[in-house]
Amino acid sequence: MVAKGRIVWISGPAVRADGMSTAKMYETVEVGESKLIGEVIRLTGDIAFIQVYESTSGLKPGEPVIGTGQPLSVLLGPGIIGKIYDGIQRPLDEIAAKSGAYIGRGVMTSPVDMKKKYRFKPSVKKDDQVGPGSILGTVEETPLLTHRILVPPNHPGGKITDIASEGDYDIEHMIATTEKGGGEKVQLKMYHKWPVRKPRPYAERYDPTVPLVTGQRVIDTYFPIAKGGTGAIPGGFGTGKTVTLHQIAKWADSKVVVYIGCGERGNEMTEVLVEFPHLIDPRSGRPLMERTVLVANTSNMPVAAREASIYTGVTIAEYYRDMGYDVVLVADSTSRWAEALREMSGRLEEMPAEEGYPSYLASRLAEFYERAGRVRALGSPERAGSVTLVGAVSPSGADFTEPVTTHTIRFIKTFWALDTRLAYSRHYPSINWMNSYSGYLEDVSKWWKENVSGEWYNLRAESYHVLQREDTLKEIVRLLGPEALPDEEKLVLEVARMVKIGILQQNSFDKIDTYCSPQKQVKMVGLMVKFYKEAQKALKAGTPLADIRAMPIIPSLLKSKFEIPEDQLNKFDELDRQINEQFHKATAAGGEGAMTEKKEAEVVA
Amino acid sequence: MTTTSYGIEYTKVAELKGPLMIIDGVTKVSFDELVEIETVDGEHRLGRVLEVGFGKAIVQVFEGTTGLTIKGTKAKFTGKTMEMPVSQELLGRVFDGLGKPNDGLPDPIADKFLDVNGEPMNPERREYPTSFIQTGVSVIDGMLTLVRGQKLPIFSGSGMAHNILAAQIARQASVVGTKEDFAVVFAAIGVQYSEAQYFKRSLEESGALRRSVLFLNLADDPAIERIITPRVALTVAEYLAFDLGMHVLAILTDMTNYAEALREISAAREEVPGRKGYPGYLYTDLANNYERAGRIKGKNGSVTQVPILSMPADDITHPIPDLTGYITEGQIVLGRDLFRKGIYPPVNVLMSLSRLMKDGVGEGKTRSDHMEVGNQLYDAYSRAQEVRALSEIVGRAGLTGVDLKYLDTGDKFEQHFLKQAPDENRTLEETLTRAWDVLSGLPEGELTKIKEKHVRQYYKG
Amino acid sequence: MSSNSALENMIGKVLDQKEAELISQIDSAYQESLDNLESSRGKLEAERTRIVEAARKQAENLKRQIIGSARLAARNQELLTIENAVNKAFEEAKKKLQASNSQDSYKELLKHMIEESISAVGGSNAVIIECNKNDAELVRKVVSELQNSGKVQQARVSDQYIDVLGGIRIKSADGTMTYDNTLDSRIERLKPLIRKNIAQMLRGVE
Repeated sequence: MVAKGRIVWISGPAVRADGMSTAKMYETVEVGESKLIGEVIRLTGDIAFIQVYESTSGLKPGEPVIGTGQPLSVLLGPGIIGKIYDGIQRPLDEIAAKSGAYIGRGVMTSPVDMKKKYRFKPSVKKDDQVGPGSILGTVEETPLLTHRILVPPNHPGGKITDIASEGDYDIEHMIATTEKGGGEKVQLKMYHKWPVRKPRPYAERYDPTVPLVTGQRVIDTYFPIAKGGTGAIPGGFGTGKTVTLHQIAKWADSKVVVYIGCGERGNEMTEVLVEFPHLIDPRSGRPLMERTVLVANTSNMPVAAREASIYTGVTIAEYYRDMGYDVVLVADSTSRWAEALREMSGRLEEMPAEEGYPSYLASRLAEFYERAGRVRALGSPERAGSVTLVGAVSPSGADFTEPVTTHTIRFIKTFWALDTRLAYSRHYPSINWMNSYSGYLEDVSKWWKENVSGEWYNLRAESYHVLQREDTLKEIVRLLGPEALPDEEKLVLEVARMVKIGILQQNSFDKIDTYCSPQKQVKMVGLMVKFYKEAQKALKAGTPLADIRAMPIIPSLLKSKFEIPEDQLNKFDELDRQINEQFHKATAAGGEGAMTEKKEAEVVA
Repeated sequence: MTTTSYGIEYTKVAELKGPLMIIDGVTKVSFDELVEIETVDGEHRLGRVLEVGFGKAIVQVFEGTTGLTIKGTKAKFTGKTMEMPVSQELLGRVFDGLGKPNDGLPDPIADKFLDVNGEPMNPERREYPTSFIQTGVSVIDGMLTLVRGQKLPIFSGSGMAHNILAAQIARQASVVGTKEDFAVVFAAIGVQYSEAQYFKRSLEESGALRRSVLFLNLADDPAIERIITPRVALTVAEYLAFDLGMHVLAILTDMTNYAEALREISAAREEVPGRKGYPGYLYTDLANNYERAGRIKGKNGSVTQVPILSMPADDITHPIPDLTGYITEGQIVLGRDLFRKGIYPPVNVLMSLSRLMKDGVGEGKTRSDHMEVGNQLYDAYSRAQEVRALSEIVGRAGLTGVDLKYLDTGDKFEQHFLKQAPDENRTLEETLTRAWDVLSGLPEGELTKIKEKHVRQYYKG
Repeated sequence: MSSNSALENMIGKVLDQKEAELISQIDSAYQESLDNLESSRGKLEAERTRIVEAARKQAENLKRQIIGSARLAARNQELLTIENAVNKAFEEAKKKLQASNSQDSYKELLKHMIEESISAVGGSNAVIIECNKNDAELVRKVVSELQNSGKVQQARVSDQYIDVLGGIRIKSADGTMTYDNTLDSRIERLKPLIRKNIAQMLRGVE
């Protein structure tokens, strides 16, 4: 029996209703005359506490609350890709069609077009045994993505008694019927629903060993993340968090990207909407929008829906994972999600923990990041898919000791620490190379060796070592000035500067520099390391440091990131040659200089 | 603000606490509803329902509860949220912080009445802002470009020149190549009379007053009223922009006073505080104001917001600038050091940023080297600052050739590029020329952020 | 003589030399002054342009300011005029309303107002009804009719009359709730909406 109660109290997005003894926890309810969508988040006696996903302005005590009997769920089927949803999977274009430029209330829409016909190709036949997660057939959702129609994970399994032949169907069409042991028959459509707060099941978890290639040098080469891994990117405002996340969403080599704008700027979502259809995936040559799903609950949209948006997004990500695809989910920002938790918790007058956040903040974060992973999907045929989770954290006052950052660190393996000071000096991405880390470095090195270059691991280590030495030398420079250092150490400073400008800094708004393939990354780092080694040798042979600093190869190396496009990587050979040539000349001349000095010294003696 | 409407009047005041009034025995009261209050002396005030249950409503009184009594106070629940009458006639008018006329003229004749809270703009219907606004201020046009529909705050400190800068932007802002003028919506939130007056006079002198709407909540006006001031102002801005197709520049000063009013209410409600006593929903609340900027597909107008806030103790990590920075599309930070040096505008460029600059400049919009020059200036000035710090330790003599050049470039940047007169309106061309003057003091090889062809074209070293 | 002539010669030479010197000095001085003049003309020119430019700018600003202020003042005067006219229209309307209180339709209106008001303050509770002296009899009649038909239970018409054009005001018996349904308050409520129409008529806009 569905619950039918009435509102007794309203405070912003939190509503209390009585007469709700038959309501279930996390059940979706319709609130008030205008049927606002809400969710039961606490039950005490016959009083239900409801978080309402729409503005409660104008709501009155006494108005009805009606249960739906269903938990908050998403619809999973063809038509999701390319959409932009609010926090509870309502398409924003449909809302706009009904309520104009501003988001109205009580708008009911369908998450996908139920009338659109897709060409269904069955991949099972009559009398085949299927189980939860098995693939029934495929439709082409976008030119980039073949949508595999899955048996729902909560299906009892059984034998196919009926399967649609190849043809054009809308997604409401019954495409298959199963029967278990001659008993219960189940009819299947091209879609099913799944509750957002319940992780979708899988058969087995794999170790993440394949890197997610993002085309961002500081990520791929220095602090890589694996497919199925977890990463967090904390940073104060203006550190370029969103730009970095957009870069990952644009260029990551995954099949599907789910981008959650959670409590962030409206224009940022618009930017994605404007830009992605025009950006071309470097691997497939198709617009990026054909593999992207957006969940947008901007900062001025109702706060409770912001809480739900994370779950809506991750459930969609898991669904595409279950098809056997690699999915990246980017959540910007988990801090705003945590604040939504805090606000609801405050309205419910719960006992707060640190900075007013509820005590269950840590466990909620853990549950979320636990939904990442590379897995063997349920059902047949056997296939692997992954969900990589990248969460932005917006620490208040750029203070990494605040609760959301400290708790997040416990549950992630890659940490890209954005640094306000780097951002102030326009070093972008402002990922601090001393404070960041990746727990996947060893795991992915095999992939690099087999697919790109055997040198990657060592080159990375050597160039990173220069940065580490610079970090310790900086203290001395700060106290005594650079002239207090011997030439060998001054060279370290010089090369570190080159690595920072030439490799770590990457301009996302430059046509060429925005994406850097693994091949190009290895070449760039390789030349930098080569330069360092040659310079060390030259110094020993007596070449003055000033001569090395004045070499024309330096600006060429520094500009190679945006002067050499991906299809002309052989131009790096030319730079290689120039290094040889210029050092050869310098050591020849420097050697002479050293000789003359020596002779003069002899004469004086 | 209209003040006359239907509604039941109640007299059973149960409690008065800070800015809150709790009324018993109410029925049919809705959340967020506007309340008209009459004191025993016949004075009228306005309030809003913050929380409501059966028989009980918590009302926030905008003009404060001073002088209210348990007996004899009447509260009329109007059955609607607070509304602002809007029409083209609002231009050239002055209102108080609640939207009531403040210039001796009658209530505006309304074209329509709009809920001051607005509604969230659907991101799908937003038009991405890309039109460059020339402010005539070199540091903004060259490095922190403002675009139509952007929200770009000025972070300032007490006593600094934020109002002069904001007034200069309001006077000079123009979209190159068009004759369209900006309408200015100005909201003074708890600022001193002299500051509001300065702004008004500045608009008057440039003849811009007749395309401006002013909302004044001054320092000695009721604090809780400040919750409403930005909302009425932005309601009018949205109307001018999206109903009448105007380009609107909305200046809100000082948002710190706004946030303090919020904190006062939160404390009175005994809510669990977030950082520094500000309510946990400060971010969401600020966003509800700041996000009322932008453009809408298929509509001509735009709302560009320049909120001003003073950072308590010049601390940018304080919750108000911090949360603001997370919502707005960049920030212009004023620096105490530059201000003391007498440099106007005292913009600390390294801490400042315009997120939308990349979309508003470049080939076909401004000039193809614009973005690169901006980046290189940042880089050069940042190096210059490092060298400055170093030279304080080792002295000028302890610096090498390139470092010395950076030192001089830093000075030249401040004196030749950054500094300008409050009534000096530079063209973009002049701004970029000055930028190249500064950069040409560096060896060519140092210009690592600029493409070869632009260096060849503009470098004067 | 010769010595004399030699002297003269010398003097002549010196004089010549001096003359030449002087001439060249004068020449160069002249040239210099010409140059000076030339250069200061440039400077003067620039100075002049600057002053003219500044004056022009100031004049332009002043013009803008004066025109702007004048337009604004004119507009404001118009607003005041319209407001006066609107107010007059309302006064007229009120007079007409007062005159119409004796008509039958007014009784129906009162009936409707009382029903509406009672339901607003919570239906079955005891209420006190207030009205002006002229209407008192009519209101009592309407209330008793309503009570007879069972639509209203505990209602009492107050002996304390209120100074209004017409209509009624209802209070709950305990005095904590009031619902104002007088003609005066109705007009006030509608005023912002009607003003637009009146103003449009005055301006000749449909």
